[in-house]
Amino acid sequence: MAGRQYYNPEAFRNVTEDGKVIGYSFEIKAQYYRGITLSIIRDLKVTVDGETADRENVRLTINGVMFTLEECRTVIDSDYRWEFGDYATVTVLKEGGLTDGPHHILCHQSIAPSYMPFTVEADCEADFTI
Amino acid sequence: MSADIKRSVSLYSYQDEYYNKQLDLEGCLRETAKTGATGVELLAEQMIRRFPLPIETEEFREQWFGWLQKYGLTPSCYDAFLEFKLYDNRTLTLSEQVNMMKRDIRLASLLGFTNLRTLVSTPMNVIEGSLEYAEKMGVRIGLEVHAPFSLNSSWADGYMEMIQRTGTKYFGFIPDMGIFCKNLPDVVREKWLRRGAKPECVKIVDECYLERVAKGFTKIKYDLNLGKANMEYRMANGMGEMMAAVEKAGGKEADMGYAFESFVFSWSDPQDLIDNIDYIYHTHAKCYNTHEDYVETATAIPEVVAAFKKAGYQGFLSTEYEGGEHLRADSPVDSIEQVRRHQEALRRAIEG
Repeated sequence: MAGRQYYNPEAFRNVTEDGKVIGYSFEIKAQYYRGITLSIIRDLKVTVDGETADRENVRLTINGVMFTLEECRTVIDSDYRWEFGDYATVTVLKEGGLTDGPHHILCHQSIAPSYMPFTVEADCEADFTI
Repeated sequence: MSADIKRSVSLYSYQDEYYNKQLDLEGCLRETAKTGATGVELLAEQMIRRFPLPIETEEFREQWFGWLQKYGLTPSCYDAFLEFKLYDNRTLTLSEQVNMMKRDIRLASLLGFTNLRTLVSTPMNVIEGSLEYAEKMGVRIGLEVHAPFSLNSSWADGYMEMIQRTGTKYFGFIPDMGIFCKNLPDVVREKWLRRGAKPECVKIVDECYLERVAKGFTKIKYDLNLGKANMEYRMANGMGEMMAAVEKAGGKEADMGYAFESFVFSWSDPQDLIDNIDYIYHTHAKCYNTHEDYVETATAIPEVVAAFKKAGYQGFLSTEYEGGEHLRADSPVDSIEQVRRHQEALRRAIEG
């Protein structure tokens, strides 16, 4: 659904694993008007400060379980629906994460409801600080 | 038969408040009841978390029917979404699609609905393959007739042929009042003006729309390729000439945007409702902006209600507020107030 602000302003952070920063994460809502199975997500493109993450480095976490975008293609279980109005966590693997300080993000969602002759595309930009 | 027109609210209307967590499912039912509506239309996939599992549980159903009793609401229509492209590498087979349709019929029935909305993208053989089950479950399948589609068209004839061939009483139409727009919604016009559309180009688009209404729209043809059918329909209704006129007047991106979007709306003669009344089980009372004086900006409420009265309509007019998507980029959306006003507009037309 066009025009909605979809980031959680409180959720931009670096992600640490075993004492090392392995990437960054943020939370977004799906830009559509009903809950969806992850299988109809066609793409999530993340660009921070002009740098677009490779598709294989983008992860989506729903209900505590992290999926690659490739895995999302077959996820249809009720436990992992992206519910309307709920945040999902997007993690981008990037060694060292983001530097402390201000950043700019552009995220592009592409969702394909079966009845539509086209995919629902939604861009949202925001400034944030790590 | 004398008409018995009832009022309902589709919870689709409250999507902005639901998205912002100002309303949950019960909150939407409470707001619906406050408007005086007695019916509720549900998009289960929108507001029932972990769809469809809870509907299978007695615990959830007890809560659902408890709410309906508490707020004095009757289930009017269950909006199904046949996700036949569930995976990106194939379309579900006919059997899989029929099974999905039967699942939705069953879910609708479990929640007390006797009408199920299906979308125009639903293949005819999926509908036909579900009819016996629909009859068994007492749930009527209604095909949404949404612009650019219309009743009394070669598109609708294909379905009418199926109705007559099978003799079914469990398939019909759910007209969306977006097919009865006498003019373009003001919220759409204002959105494009905010985006830089020029008043002289906006005027061309508005006048072209009124001309189409006065002349009568050329109706869309039946074609499995909806994109192709839609483009032919647009061209037959003068889109080429209108785009050229807007461009000649110095139209830029926003002007073209308004011109293009004007084809999302259409006008049908309300006589179409009378002609097809035996097959109309439910109605989406689409609305975009209802003013303080209870006048809706685009949809022909008085004309539509008059036609339904004449035809002896027994179903619901279910408010489907869709103005929010033209506002939310720039300003807050108050669906609760919009639905309230629209219900009052319907009440006045029905009781007046």
